[in-house]
Amino acid sequence: MKKLKNIYSIYIKTFLILLLVTLGSCNDFLEKPLQGALTQETFPTTERDALLATNAVYNIMLRENYNYGLFPIIDIMSDDSRKGSNPGDAAATVGPFENFTHVATEETLSRWWSTLYEGVKRANVVIERVPSIQMNEQLKSRYIAEANFLRAVFYFDLVRAWGGVPKVTTTNTSRNLPRASQEEIYNLIEQDLLAAIQVLPQKTEYAAADVGRASKGAAKALLAKVYLYQKDFVNAEKYALEVINSGLYDLEPDFANANSKAGEHGQESVFEIGALGEESITRGGNQFGNVQGVRGAPNKGWGFNRPSIALMNSFEQGDPRLDKTVIYLGEVLDGITISGDTDTPNETRDANGNLIEIETYNQKVWTPGNDVPSAFGYNRRLIRYAEVLLIAAEALNENDKPEDALIYLNDVRERAREGNPAILPDRTETDKDVLRDLILHERRVELALEGQRFWDLVRTGKAPSVLGPLGFIEGKHELLPIPQSEMDLTQNIWEQNPQW
Amino acid sequence: MRKIFTIVSIAIATVSFTGKAISQATPQDATSQNTNIEGTVTDAETGEQLIGVTIQIKGTTVGTITDIEGHYLIQASPDDSLVFSFIGYVTQTIGVGNRTLLDVQLSTDVETLSEVVIVGYGTQRKSDLTGSVSSIRGKDLTQIPSNNPMQALQGKVAGVQVTSSTGAPGAAPVVRIRGVGTFNNASPIYVVDGVILDDISFLNPADIESMEILKDASATAIYGSRGANGVVLVTTKQGSKEDKAPIVTVSGEYSIQKLHKTIDLLNGREFATVANEINPGSYNNVNAVPNTDWQSLIFRDAPIHNYQVSVAGSSPKIQYYVGVGYFNQQGIIPKSSYERVSVRLNNTFHLADNVRLGSNISITPYKQQNTNAFSPYIAYRAQPVVSPRQMDGSYSPVAGVGNVLADINYTNNFDRALRSVGNVFGEVDIIKGLTFRSSFGADLELKKNESFTPAFFVSPQQQNSTSDLNKTNTDRLSWLWENTLNYTKDIGKHRINALVGYTMQEASSEFLKVAGENIIRNGEDFWYFDASNTVGNLTENRVELDQNYSMTSYLFRLNYVFDRRYLFTGSLRRDASSKFSKENRVGYFPAIALGWNIINEAFMQDVSLLTNLKLRGSWGIVGNEKIDYSRRFSPVSNVFGAVFGTNETLYPGSSYGVSGNPDLTWESTYQTDVGLEFALFENQLKGEIDYYRKRTDDILISLPVAGYLGNGVGATITYNAAEVLNQGIEYNLGWSSEINDVTYSISAMGTTINNKALKVMGTGGPGDRLFNSAQTTRTVPGLPIGAFYGYKTDGIFQNQTELDSYPHTSQAGVGDLRFVDVNGDGSLTPDDRTNIGSSIPDFIYGINLEVGYKGIGLSVDFQGQAGNEIYNAKETVRPDLYNFEQHVFDRWRGEGTSNTEPRATAGGYNFQHSSRFVQDGSFLRLRSATISYDLSQSVAEKAKMKSARIYIRGTNLLTWTKFTGYSPEVSGTQPGATGTGVLDNGIDYGTYPVSTVYSFGLNLTF
Repeated sequence: MKKLKNIYSIYIKTFLILLLVTLGSCNDFLEKPLQGALTQETFPTTERDALLATNAVYNIMLRENYNYGLFPIIDIMSDDSRKGSNPGDAAATVGPFENFTHVATEETLSRWWSTLYEGVKRANVVIERVPSIQMNEQLKSRYIAEANFLRAVFYFDLVRAWGGVPKVTTTNTSRNLPRASQEEIYNLIEQDLLAAIQVLPQKTEYAAADVGRASKGAAKALLAKVYLYQKDFVNAEKYALEVINSGLYDLEPDFANANSKAGEHGQESVFEIGALGEESITRGGNQFGNVQGVRGAPNKGWGFNRPSIALMNSFEQGDPRLDKTVIYLGEVLDGITISGDTDTPNETRDANGNLIEIETYNQKVWTPGNDVPSAFGYNRRLIRYAEVLLIAAEALNENDKPEDALIYLNDVRERAREGNPAILPDRTETDKDVLRDLILHERRVELALEGQRFWDLVRTGKAPSVLGPLGFIEGKHELLPIPQSEMDLTQNIWEQNPQW
Repeated sequence: MRKIFTIVSIAIATVSFTGKAISQATPQDATSQNTNIEGTVTDAETGEQLIGVTIQIKGTTVGTITDIEGHYLIQASPDDSLVFSFIGYVTQTIGVGNRTLLDVQLSTDVETLSEVVIVGYGTQRKSDLTGSVSSIRGKDLTQIPSNNPMQALQGKVAGVQVTSSTGAPGAAPVVRIRGVGTFNNASPIYVVDGVILDDISFLNPADIESMEILKDASATAIYGSRGANGVVLVTTKQGSKEDKAPIVTVSGEYSIQKLHKTIDLLNGREFATVANEINPGSYNNVNAVPNTDWQSLIFRDAPIHNYQVSVAGSSPKIQYYVGVGYFNQQGIIPKSSYERVSVRLNNTFHLADNVRLGSNISITPYKQQNTNAFSPYIAYRAQPVVSPRQMDGSYSPVAGVGNVLADINYTNNFDRALRSVGNVFGEVDIIKGLTFRSSFGADLELKKNESFTPAFFVSPQQQNSTSDLNKTNTDRLSWLWENTLNYTKDIGKHRINALVGYTMQEASSEFLKVAGENIIRNGEDFWYFDASNTVGNLTENRVELDQNYSMTSYLFRLNYVFDRRYLFTGSLRRDASSKFSKENRVGYFPAIALGWNIINEAFMQDVSLLTNLKLRGSWGIVGNEKIDYSRRFSPVSNVFGAVFGTNETLYPGSSYGVSGNPDLTWESTYQTDVGLEFALFENQLKGEIDYYRKRTDDILISLPVAGYLGNGVGATITYNAAEVLNQGIEYNLGWSSEINDVTYSISAMGTTINNKALKVMGTGGPGDRLFNSAQTTRTVPGLPIGAFYGYKTDGIFQNQTELDSYPHTSQAGVGDLRFVDVNGDGSLTPDDRTNIGSSIPDFIYGINLEVGYKGIGLSVDFQGQAGNEIYNAKETVRPDLYNFEQHVFDRWRGEGTSNTEPRATAGGYNFQHSSRFVQDGSFLRLRSATISYDLSQSVAEKAKMKSARIYIRGTNLLTWTKFTGYSPEVSGTQPGATGTGVLDNGIDYGTYPVSTVYSFGLNLTF
């Protein structure tokens, strides 16, 4: 018995010792950090982190919802385009924007809003956290300036679409943030762009591998546009001319190349979103060209943003830009015949037999290739030199320098006419009001389907007269409604936009 | 095992008297006839001296009790009889006669011992139990041809709902104990020989000795933060100490499975007729169209083989059980099967009288082939007017859904896994009654999945331009070390059982996925990766989110029984889990319970009708921490690359992902239970009835957060922000008796469930969305979890006038459904969607009958539920023209023709989520019927067998239901999806149907 007693007293002692050892190591035992990912407390902290965090801000622009919440509603709300696709497709979700019957619960709106703010957050990560990283100071300030530029890009969409929005400038945002005024947001955009201009290199100063990053020229061009929207024509003129006089940009000889694959990062490109022909964002694809791509045969996409008959009619007689803006059925592009979609009528007429739509597609987003992945490779141009010229022209005209304005306006027309003296004669009009309309018209045809027309009409006050027949209500439709989900989630602490 | 139940005494100084008035027999009381009687009372088996045995002179209140040496002294006359009674032992009455020395040996009360119930970290007499615990014997678990032991519980245990939502081989049933108290994982935990597990599909039912379902807080609180969904304790078989010679059991069962029912769909001609109404001129001659019955093409009859051999026995130092099982189920849809070998080795070594060492080890390799999960759904929707194959033998394109035969043929998906669960333990009886036990258990699973899709072309919509190969590897290991001290002591009428313990558990896992394409040949021999065929950016590597945690726990429990009449249980568990941040890590889970064995009261002794009557009540807090560990962290995501360069290149990018919530904590369930147990007519009628009320607070739900916070589209953050109540009554009633040579028994069980959400933060409430992303369920205060959500229909627009006078949307026309303007604002908007049903039954029940006559046995089990609805989702999402269910025959074709079935349309307006697709989900099912024959003992012995039985059995033979789908047991998870089944419960997608099974089996014992 005694021997046995010893045996189990040994057992007990062993257990007790083990128990005490494990009890003592308890605290570490209960620490299970996140596996496979950093947490936000520990990122970004290195030079490489800073670069990764900066790249991640650009990534937002590849997100499908960055493009107006997937569907090009800003064009669809203009007189230049119709919903597109076949009649039933997204009739309930995109259709309402065609005739201004959209409401605050449209998911397109909350998707766009949330994605823009996701971009703001990523820019804030760089702006807030990169300054304290020990690293190459030149790179550090450039990364921050890139983030400043991109934050301005996102806020510019927000302020144009919704007016005064919550002003988020830190990663640790209050959950009860009020809406800032439109002016405060514009001030933030200006500050960001001015800061970016101080630091960013010119497009040509970037290494070949870095082309596509925000440049000084891009920041100035965007700032000119931001001033134009605020009717600060003196500053708009100043920054547009600085871009023009930098001598770094020129128009593509062929208008088509302003948007084509061949013209990517070309002399006309001031800022564009690089994308690869991959059907996935994580692999570098951008769905922008797919959503608007030819539907049916070739199967490039969904066929939204169909050029309206009004747009086609707005081109001057013989303007070659029409055919380079609109894809017609039967057209052959890069050796591919466009047959279109069997579920989409070739012609649509209203009850009175008037032609209201023909099956066409947006040629600006065309990329060579007859499959879906090729459509994902379209590099969306956010600012191109032709627009800078037109901003300059508009600002100069407003600043009572019509002669100077005509120079830049006619630069755009000259390229468009492709050497054919019979079309698109130089403008000579110097009457301020008439010239203003001519410049606006030039913007319409030059920048058609590039997400400009609706906002051009709103900022020039022409929206009620031009878009009224489509359902536009003055005092209401200048702005989109704050997404209802956002109003709900913030417990209605914000005031909804007027009349919504 | 017996040792544990034996009441042992230890030397302590005082012996106290019990409350019942027993006058001490003193010398002063003695009369001239009285003489001193003395003696020692010992345990008949062990010879141990028993202290506290009551000795009473029969018919008087005079008595005494034994002292610490088991010795007693009493004065009695020779005519008196002495009654020796002690809890757990058979009472003896002995006449005094002329003796002065009377040594008595008491033998243990076998009947009481057989009523022992396994509870968390120990055992208890059934009569001492204060909690709500249901026990199932192992032999009842093999009455259903299934690989999963839980399947056999359908309709057998009050308070437990087992739903076989899919008939796919290897699929586990959905188990809910006393309703649904969470929006997250609502499954119970399983404790197999002390090892805590999330599922037991690896367990061979034939290896199980018993199963106990712990339902109320008194029983589950000892499992603390994991007990809220209930606990299933599983004890596997051991060699019995009584069986010195090995007992060899051989059993075999062969079954054939057949599709239980088909869905009534349109044939080719009928479909063409309806299609012509929708798109006039679609089919010129409806009599000449092909007629394909897609259902008959994808279903087949398929066998199940189930064989096992076990050897059990003991020697003085060793108890052993070795079991080997083989289970092979082919699916009724081609390319699905489940094959498992299960090996179990259970041993206990008696190193000394008071030292035991043992192990329970199972090793289970299995292989599962998964067919295309959508195939029943595809076959359901496929147009019958398409022949399955074209003239050249190739698959015909099928509009909208694709050719299901091609889908099945091109699906190659295999799981191959090895799971091993086991523990080793040591037990030392330190002093009598005090046992220290340490058990180290582990659950290991190595699982790999391979799927291969060859390049093929059926149509532009159904093609795969390059072959695809995916492999995933998951390894998972969790270990659990439990140390407990258990102290049992009887002092007179007081019985104390105390438990303290400390446990540690850790789970780790890794998931690795590799993907490739353009595999050089289709054959399995070529399913390997190399540098030329891997697709790097589809590689995925992470931990399994629910399998990465550690936990330490302290446990305490005290059972106190006074005089077998008054019962008390108090328990407390302290859990600390790594799933929560340091500040929120520790939780305390207390429970108290009281019981009253009324039957043991003196005033009941004359009531011969009743043989048991017990009242018990409990209250406690239990938790649910089955959430993935990552939700409290705010991660940085690394998939935010951007494209730069004249030579465009994707450069990596990283930034903040969706924020987490560091304040998360477990869900807490406050549970109250009141139960009454009774037995009448010498135990021929037994019953148990319980009322339960479970309020779960701090339920974790993912709430959408404001977009301006920058978490991205549709981002949600998890909060402890909801509250749910489950309450109901459950009962068990059984009658067993015999008439002449016929033995029979009838039992019935039932449970009522009243489930409702009390609080749900956020707007709209969490819900489930169908393929078209329209919301089908919604959980809001006042309604059951996952209530169906949609428009309420109240007829058909019969004519234009009616249409004009009712609120309607612009899409509605004459002959279309009329939706109710629920909010009465005069217009029909999405705000008019409302609660249109619930998947949670009001009542679940089961009825079991058994009859035996001279070796012939008949047993019949019914199971059913009532008061729930099923959402027939497979009928709703229709972007293309699909086949219809036959109720389209009754469609509206002009004023007055129908007020329920709208005009024929391919999809759109009439197929929006509405009460049109809500069906009554009540059913009664003849779960199983078995006829068996046991060879008579004498014949068996001649064949050198202990026993032999042959049987035939039918499973899922008949179902009475109004539901039109394959089976009314619907859990609703979308095919292929891995939801929790809480918010999408009761939504039918036409998942893999449950089959009717006919079995033949043989059991031999040597």
